[in-house]
Amino acid sequence: MTSNTVVLRNVTKRFGSVQAVRGIDLEVPKGSLTGFIGPNGAGKSTTIRMIMSIIHPDEGSVEVLGADAIAAKDRIGYLPEERGLYRRMRVTEFLRYMATLKGVPSAGLGRRIADWLDRVQLPEAAKKRCQELSKGQQQKIQFIASVIHDPELVILDEPFSGLDPVNSRLLNRLIRELNESGRTIIFSTHVMHQAEQLCDRIVLINRGEKVIDASMPEIRARFDPRTVQVEPADGDPRAAERLARIAGVEHARWLPERRAAELAVSRDADPQAVMREATATLPVRSVELRRTTLDDVFVELVGEAMPSSEESGNG
Amino acid sequence: MADRRPDRRDPAAMRRVLAVAFREFRHTVLTKGFIFGALLMPVIMVVMIAAIGALVGSQMAPVSGTLAVIDPSGTVAAFVPAELSPDAIAEEAREALERNSTLLPKGTGEQAVAQAAALAPRIDVKVDPVADASLEESLRAKVQSGELLGLAIVTADVLKPDPHDAEGNPATFALIVPTKSPPRLTGLLEKAVATSIVKARVKAAGTDYSSLNSLLSVPGTSVRRLAADGTEASESKVAKTLLPMGFMMLLWIATFTSGNYLLTTTIEEKSNKVMEVVLSAVSPMQLLCGKILGYAAVSALMLLMYGGLGIAALAAAAMGDLVSPGMLALMLVYFVMAYAFVSIMMASVGSAVNDLREAQSLVTPAMLVLMLPLMLWLPISEQPNGWLATIASFVPPAIPFVMILRVTASSEPIAIWQVALSIVWGFAWVGVFLWAGAKIFRVGVLMQGKPPTPKELLKWVRMA
Repeated sequence: MTSNTVVLRNVTKRFGSVQAVRGIDLEVPKGSLTGFIGPNGAGKSTTIRMIMSIIHPDEGSVEVLGADAIAAKDRIGYLPEERGLYRRMRVTEFLRYMATLKGVPSAGLGRRIADWLDRVQLPEAAKKRCQELSKGQQQKIQFIASVIHDPELVILDEPFSGLDPVNSRLLNRLIRELNESGRTIIFSTHVMHQAEQLCDRIVLINRGEKVIDASMPEIRARFDPRTVQVEPADGDPRAAERLARIAGVEHARWLPERRAAELAVSRDADPQAVMREATATLPVRSVELRRTTLDDVFVELVGEAMPSSEESGNG
Repeated sequence: MADRRPDRRDPAAMRRVLAVAFREFRHTVLTKGFIFGALLMPVIMVVMIAAIGALVGSQMAPVSGTLAVIDPSGTVAAFVPAELSPDAIAEEAREALERNSTLLPKGTGEQAVAQAAALAPRIDVKVDPVADASLEESLRAKVQSGELLGLAIVTADVLKPDPHDAEGNPATFALIVPTKSPPRLTGLLEKAVATSIVKARVKAAGTDYSSLNSLLSVPGTSVRRLAADGTEASESKVAKTLLPMGFMMLLWIATFTSGNYLLTTTIEEKSNKVMEVVLSAVSPMQLLCGKILGYAAVSALMLLMYGGLGIAALAAAAMGDLVSPGMLALMLVYFVMAYAFVSIMMASVGSAVNDLREAQSLVTPAMLVLMLPLMLWLPISEQPNGWLATIASFVPPAIPFVMILRVTASSEPIAIWQVALSIVWGFAWVGVFLWAGAKIFRVGVLMQGKPPTPKELLKWVRMA
């Protein structure tokens, strides 16, 4: 019996002349919480759709729960990026329909739906029509629809897209709880800090290729920190110009929101030496070597910054 | 690019198909639109027709008054009172209904005729014969004031053997009525005077009017069809013309109503983005099968409802024997075939487009073929064994519509081999439609953006 829930071997997918996914090999361990990250159009959603057997690869093989997603449909929960509801259906009715399709027996289904509505803090929505709900509320109902059948594998494509911070936190907690109860979770996002907070494993996809497939500690170990943040004692923005002249600093920029200068340390310089020189250059309130973020990794690997907004797009 | 895996590997396929079918059925039949449009509308129409009849009756208040007839000869005015008697009016209404009911087989529908005759206007008109033409002006004034129902001016010319006036124009009479005179009353007065003139002429010619009338009219004819085996069947115009149309329209209504629902709900699922949510639980083939099955139940419900109403109406009119069990069995077979053609087309088109406007351009070519039986209804009904009917009954997807016209139109049954062949041939084409439709559906449901051209649809069929 395999310890991997999802196994992709040399998976390739083309849409006409566009190669959406290029020879991806991937293993998602059982019980892991894996984040697919990458910019819009990177191939995240296409990869997920192939895992779900909604579309099939032109080359390579996909194995899900020891078979393929069609045979294992009832054991998988899927929240697609392009998601919607039957607008005129009542919430309970919609969830009952989805649960029935997923093979949940009708006995006890009402209780299960009510429990989930409580968990997402929407008990009052039970009798409402889907079209009466706000976008965020609809998204929570869609999330319930993807997990109502208690799946072993949960695949969430951009689950945080469109959610306010409160609901993002709630969804974050629910995903963690599912993972802690033994479910394997795959979710895609192009918002780095969400992946960083949640995932124990990161798969970075760019232009259809897998660029990174590692745990967060492995990533941090591989990409040693090279950014020093200096907070001048007087808060003077001109400090960035002075600090940029320190040997080994490639460039410096002022971060008004933090009232601090951010120094990019060159590959051949020692960040510790730069920190010592910074304290010698001007009076400082704090000096710190910033932890490597996924943003930093992405910039280093892909050469461009990730969008910070919540905008969605085809992955 | 789409799901090409066979569903037989999915042990829960039937459960999913039935769940989809049940949802589609329930959410169509229990909507206000369906309940009002498909279920209540026929009832409302029946009630409205009955109500209109009652309203017409209620609006025909008894009319009483005087018709002045200026007739220097006095011979025409003498006939007018009898023509305006209540018995004469009722008899005329009954005869008119019988004339207009030539489509009904003779000997049936007496009750309806009697009821209609009861709706004849109730009038009590006195006739005032006036010999002095110089009173015309004063009588006109009385018409104008409403004192008289009307004034008929009959000249002596109308009674001449060659009824022309001095200038050679055909001699006639004038009828002057108030502005507010109801058209139906005016018509009755006009007809009464005209008939009276004819009766006066006949009398002047020394002939008896009722004898002459008997000579001029032929009572209801009895047309019998003599079959090759020597059996005789009564000719029924309703069986020849209206019944086939009724059967075909029943097929149309039942299949296209649910076909339209199928088209619009599929488009709605795509535009609502709920399609991929559903596809995470069912395969495209299971979704297609569930939808087709669900709307088949909707269609069958409509067929039962409208068909039942039709048969009940025929039975009420003592024409129930026009529909044979064989016809009903064939109707069922062709209904399944027609629904399969329509539903597969609608589902595949619905899956490929983003809105109804885009669907029109793809549905139109198929609709033109399906319009064939509507356009050829008369020639096919007239000649159900003619070459046109025979050829048209093998053109998919019009096969079931043409065949139902033929099998219900023919006084003599059409060749059994043709019926059998049409069924085998038709269902073979259903197989082809299902094969191509399923491929289009599997690709289409996940497609967004520009709608495909017919050429691209063919490409989908080849690639899926």
